[in-house]
Amino acid sequence: MYGKGLRQLSIATVVALAASLSLVFFYAPLDADQGFIQKIFYLHVPLAITALVGFVVGGVFAILHLRSGDRRWDAWSYVSIHMSVIFGVAVLVTGSIWAKASWGHWWVWDEPTLVSFLIVFLMYATYYPFRYAIEDPERQGRYASVFAITAGAFVPLNFIAVRMAQSLVHPRVFATTNGGLPGSMMFTFLVCLAATGLLWITLVKLELTAKSASGQLKRLRRALDAPAPSGGSRIAPEVS
Amino acid sequence: MTAALLASAPALPLDEAGKYVAGAYLVFMVLLVIYVAIMAAKLQRMERDLRDLAGIAESRSNGHSVAPGRGSEGQSISVSSGPSESRGGDA
Repeated sequence: MYGKGLRQLSIATVVALAASLSLVFFYAPLDADQGFIQKIFYLHVPLAITALVGFVVGGVFAILHLRSGDRRWDAWSYVSIHMSVIFGVAVLVTGSIWAKASWGHWWVWDEPTLVSFLIVFLMYATYYPFRYAIEDPERQGRYASVFAITAGAFVPLNFIAVRMAQSLVHPRVFATTNGGLPGSMMFTFLVCLAATGLLWITLVKLELTAKSASGQLKRLRRALDAPAPSGGSRIAPEVS
Repeated sequence: MTAALLASAPALPLDEAGKYVAGAYLVFMVLLVIYVAIMAAKLQRMERDLRDLAGIAESRSNGHSVAPGRGSEGQSISVSSGPSESRGGDA
């Protein structure tokens, strides 16, 4: 069920990623201010946007889980957050590389954008031990959903707060006034954003398909009254 | 063909900034490869489990006793020879 359309989605993702990389390196002009180092933004910013949107999406799935009691929504929520945390790691690392090249430091503590993203990332990093600490699957799913909703609501609030903070350090290239991206750069950026979004959706579906297959195997094992294999996940919700 | 493509492509300024840009994209690729490798390992494990279960199911249908594979080394499960035995012989 979860694997439906996965092949087409995977092909579209590969094509989109290839197109975005081609546009980044062979079409988008060099930034007048930052030069070649600005190419990192075509990777870093879409990853950050996708990760943050993914956290919010995880919260929306959690609402659906609490409203319906259907554990499949819990699985969607879990996998969305899981994937966004992985994307978050990429955001932090690529951001640090850009910071080192541009500012000469791997990390700057007085920059609100960086610190706020780190706070969001660390908050979601606690999702795993929080979930893992609860044995009962029903309670685990319910508590994890409450966490996902609360944290998901925090993400846009955090984003707005950072936008309101006046910083002269972190670039604001999507401004509506002077200094915004020129057309070719904006087009490249939007293709990169679409490719990253597609990658996120593909990986979420892939993960859910794998979890679903694993859940069906467990059911089959129980039905056959066979001994359980070692090394199974206790954190992830079981998907049927 | 490749040479013509490279000749027509704009030169990339692989100076000081080049290694940082390459590093950032490499990190992304490495993360992606690690994720795919983990998923491949999961798939292999599932395939093994499925093979075990298929073996158990087959031996049950043939009425044999079986020693399952991974995850239950050193154990063997006695498999009932038919529905009457599995239900306590009262069927």
